[in-house]
This record gives sequence, C-alpha cells and structure tokens, in this order.
Amino acid sequence: MRHLLPFVLCLAGFAGLALATERQQRTCFGGPLRAVTTYVLRAAGVSVLLFALGILITWQSAGLGLVTFSGLTSLTAGIVYCALLGVARTRAP
Amino acid sequence: MTISDEPRITGRGIRQSMSDLHTWAGLLLGWVLYAMFLTGTVSYFKDELSQWMRPELPYQAQLPDQAVVAQRVADAFSKDMPGSPQWSIKLPDARNNSVYAFWRTGPRSADSRGFGEGYFDPATGQKVAARDTLGGDFFYRFHFQFHYIPVLWGRLLAGAAAMFMLVAIVSGVITHKKIFTDFFTFRWGKGQRSWLDAHNALSVFGLPFHFMITYTGLVTLMAMLMPWGERVAFQTPVERQQYASELSAFTQPGKPSEQAVPLASVESMVRQAQDRWGRDNVGRVTASLAGDAAARVVVTRSEAGRVSMSPQSMEFEGATGKLLSIRESVGAAAETRGVLYGLHLGRFSDTVMRWLYFLVSLTGTAMVGTGLVMWTVKRRHKLPDPARPHIGFRIVERLNVSTIAGLSIAMTAFLWANRLLPLSLAARADVEIQVFFMVWALTLAHAMIRRPKAAWVEQLWIASAMLALLPFLNAATTSRTLWHSLTDGDWVFVSVDLMCWALAALHAVLALRTARHQPTARAARKRHPNPGAGPLLRGEGA
Repeated sequence: MRHLLPFVLCLAGFAGLALATERQQRTCFGGPLRAVTTYVLRAAGVSVLLFALGILITWQSAGLGLVTFSGLTSLTAGIVYCALLGVARTRAP
Repeated sequence: MTISDEPRITGRGIRQSMSDLHTWAGLLLGWVLYAMFLTGTVSYFKDELSQWMRPELPYQAQLPDQAVVAQRVADAFSKDMPGSPQWSIKLPDARNNSVYAFWRTGPRSADSRGFGEGYFDPATGQKVAARDTLGGDFFYRFHFQFHYIPVLWGRLLAGAAAMFMLVAIVSGVITHKKIFTDFFTFRWGKGQRSWLDAHNALSVFGLPFHFMITYTGLVTLMAMLMPWGERVAFQTPVERQQYASELSAFTQPGKPSEQAVPLASVESMVRQAQDRWGRDNVGRVTASLAGDAAARVVVTRSEAGRVSMSPQSMEFEGATGKLLSIRESVGAAAETRGVLYGLHLGRFSDTVMRWLYFLVSLTGTAMVGTGLVMWTVKRRHKLPDPARPHIGFRIVERLNVSTIAGLSIAMTAFLWANRLLPLSLAARADVEIQVFFMVWALTLAHAMIRRPKAAWVEQLWIASAMLALLPFLNAATTSRTLWHSLTDGDWVFVSVDLMCWALAALHAVLALRTARHQPTARAARKRHPNPGAGPLLRGEGA
C-alpha cells in the first residue's frame, strides 16, 4: 500500500498527460479530442502527479519522498509508453 | 547602427552546435560510460550478488540480534587476535547474511598489507570458510576505478567519463527541441528515427535520475578531481582530522596505555545504539586498542532509511563501556556532500526503492547503448560505400558489439567462473576476474573477425544462452537450487535465478530482432542506387 497508491496515481497521471498529446489522441481515438478535453486531461494528469508527490512526502519525509517520486515517475512513464506502443502496434494497418 | 552592432549571421544554430557536442561527448567515452553504467546498475544489488557468490554462507531466515552478534565476534577477536590495534565489523542486516570484518595486523610492510579481512558466521561468531571471491564488490569497484590500472588513474578516467556524460546530458536536453511534445512518441520501423525515439524515451523518462547519478558520481570523486580547496582549507594535522571526522566515523587508533584491561561488554554498547536508532539499524562496530586501558569503541548507524552518508556514531570508553559522545550531525557543507553521496549509492533504499534504482539505471545503460548504436545507424547511409566503411566507422561498430553484447557475456562468465573454478584454487578471486577480462577480450576478437551483424547476433545469443543456463549450473554445483530456495523463502537466490532468465529472454529478443532486421527499402535505395549491390547488405550491422 505504501508504494502501490503512489504508483497507481503516477500511472494515472502519465496516462492523462499522454492522452493530452495530439499524436497519442490520433493513435488511441483516431483523431484529436476537443481542446477542453485536452486541457482537462493535462490538468488532471499534473494534479494527480502532484498529489502522489504530496502523499510520498507526507508518508516518507521530503528526501525519501522526492527520490521515490522520481523513481516512480520514470517507471510509470515507461509503462505508459510501452502501453501506447502496444496500442499503436495493434491498430496499425 | 554600426556594422559591429548588427546581429552576426552564423551558419549553425545553438541546437546544431549542441547536437554535435552531444554526439561526440557521448561517443568518445561512450564505451567506458556503458561499462560504468551497467556495472553500476548491477552494484545496486552487490550485497545480494555477493550472497549468491558465496553459497556456503547459510540462508538467513531471520535477522539475528545485532548486539548479540557483535559480542560474539568481539569475543572471537579477543581470543584469536588479541594484539590487533583495531578491528571493525559490519553487522548483518536484511541484505547481508554474514559479518564482514577488517582488522589491522601491524605496520604495513613489503611482506604484509598490514590488515586482514574475512567473513564471520553471525550464529557462531567464527570465521566462515566461504569460497574466495570478490562477489558483487568486483562490479562495484570496477564501476568507478576499473581494474588492472592504478586506482588513481582508474578514478580519474571515471571522473572524466562522468564529466563527458554530464556534458552529453545537458547538450542532449538543449538539442531535444520537442521534449514535451514528443514525450510519448515512438515511430516503429523507421530506422534511424526509431532509434532516436528510443534513445529519447530512455533518456527523458529517467532524466532526473540520469542527471542526479552523473552529478553525484562526480561529487563522490570531487576530493580527487579538485583537491586544491581542501589543501588550502585544511593544512594542519588537527584541521585534517576534523575534516576527516566530518566525512567518516572511521578513526585511526590512538596510542596504547600499555595497561591491559579487558574490553567491556560490546553487546551493551550496541544495545544503547539500538535503543537510539532502532533494533536493526546499527551498521558497524569499530574497536581500537581492544584489551588496553585506552581502548575506544565506535558504534556507527547504518545508512538505511536516511538519504545521507554523513556519519552518525556513538563513542564508548572500551575499558568501562561508558558513553563518551554521540555524533548525529555534521556541518552544512559536509551534510550536502553526505546527501549527494547517499543519493548516488542508494543505500537508504528499501527493496522497492532498490528495484526502482536498478530499473531506471538500466534505462540509463540502454540510453548510452542506443546512443552508441545510433552513431553508426545515422552515419551508415552517408557512407560512400557501406560495404567498405572507413576505419573509424569500423572501430566504432566493433567496439559497440564487444562493449554492449560482449560485456553481458563477460559479466555472466564471471558468475560461471564463480561456480566452476575449484574451491581450492590459489588466488581464486583473482582468477574469477581474469576470466571476466579474458572472455571480454575474446568478444572483441570475435567482433573483429566477424561481420558486424553476425557478431551482434552471435554474441547476443551466447549471452542469452549463458544467462539461461546459469540457474541450472547453480543447481548442479550447489545445494541452493531454485526449488530449495523457493521452499526456504530465500528470495536472494530465487531473484538471481529469475533475473538470469529475464535477462536471457531480453538478449534472445534482441538477437532475434537483429537477425531478422532488414534495412528499409528507402534506406537500401539510399545506400545502393545500383540494384546489383543488394547482396552487400548482408554484411551490415544492426
């Protein structure tokens, strides 16, 4: 639980940020989303990441929390990247 | 406006200049950096790897009471090495199933190193007869000082490589103009573009880590790279001693009183430290002049759970066990250094954090590796005759094979040697290291005589096979088989076996993809406008 919740939050945050980019919107939805939706996804992604950072700092101390956050963001960004790669491969003509 | 006030028109922008700087800073010491990154990555599990490489040391199901263990080993020292001016023991913890001890034997001379070291069984306090090996410490030491060259030169080379890396990181960030827009971009099957996307992703996802690890790596070597400030600031022996005490709890033994007094209870001293820092949070016990009235015992806190390497210690009077002082803070500058040092080593990590360090560091290794390969991919289609590249291109291509695929083989060969070399072999630990370098040299020779693509494929398959077979070799040569480890709950041995198979699969995938790789029609046309030149492609690298 100590690592799971921040991990899930970071994953969700990066998923939101990824879906807020036009290239990934084309890959996943076939075309760009509305501007409002894009802004919401971007804001939600950043907010969730900041929330995860807050939780980690509260639970672990500033130093450990920042280090864990750095590691989790790298890992979850990589997972989202690989997932998008899979989506792109399955939808490729 | 005069002519001199007019903006100067230059042919190259800042990004292009930085791109060139990034390319060459990354390439020139890229092979050294790759080896440093990979061995450094493995070093995050050096204690676990050392456990695996000393299978004679029994699995530690439950962490023993550090106070009791310290007293056991102290008793062994009192009995077996009564005249030692100083001994120091690293107590077992969640990652170490033995007590590592270091003791001084007398003045250093041509015949004697002046110290001894060994491993002790926490359960008995007696020396254990484990096989002679450097274990994971070999990769750890190689990571920053290499081997077969003087330590100073090795560290200078590591420092120079780290500086090149820092330049490559900063120039890479400036070069990458769409760092956010292209954050999740990967364009599959586009040759050079795909390599660039992969390189960018590996670099950007772990960017804070890559920057931190490079910068803090330089901090660990700063006293050697820039010694002048220290020389000016600390000139007298007292000043130098004060400076040293800010960085380490280790002190030189004082002068003996020549009055024999037995050492007071070490268990009681460690117990006080446990009360202060926690039951399993004592790192080391160092006794100077044990058995003398002037004896001192320093109990040091472990690095677990605190992002700092700054020393925290309790000093006791050896003869009475009286607490003399507690040190739990250092000056601001020393603490800054301690935090940066601690970030680099990651010894504060719990298991999850250690895996995060390992995985992100592995992406750093892949970042350097993809950068090296990209250098050849980018330049191949510009060659006048790709079948006969110039000497510089050939050297880079061959070095890439033996550094990237060859190092995997050499590191695995080191582990094979650990299981296959006779236990009674003289200087066994040195022979293991010689095997590592001989195998690595063979991979270079192989890369020299084979066509690049064939060399890549063959070496990746060899690495894959060696990794896949290592758990079976372990099962055949020790009693610590996977099924026994699973039954016992020995996750160190289980993890090493599973990791070997995971890495074997990774190398197999790389080998398959390299073997199946065909240059795109566009790239092939660029290289071979003459259709009759097609067969030459067979000799091309990945």
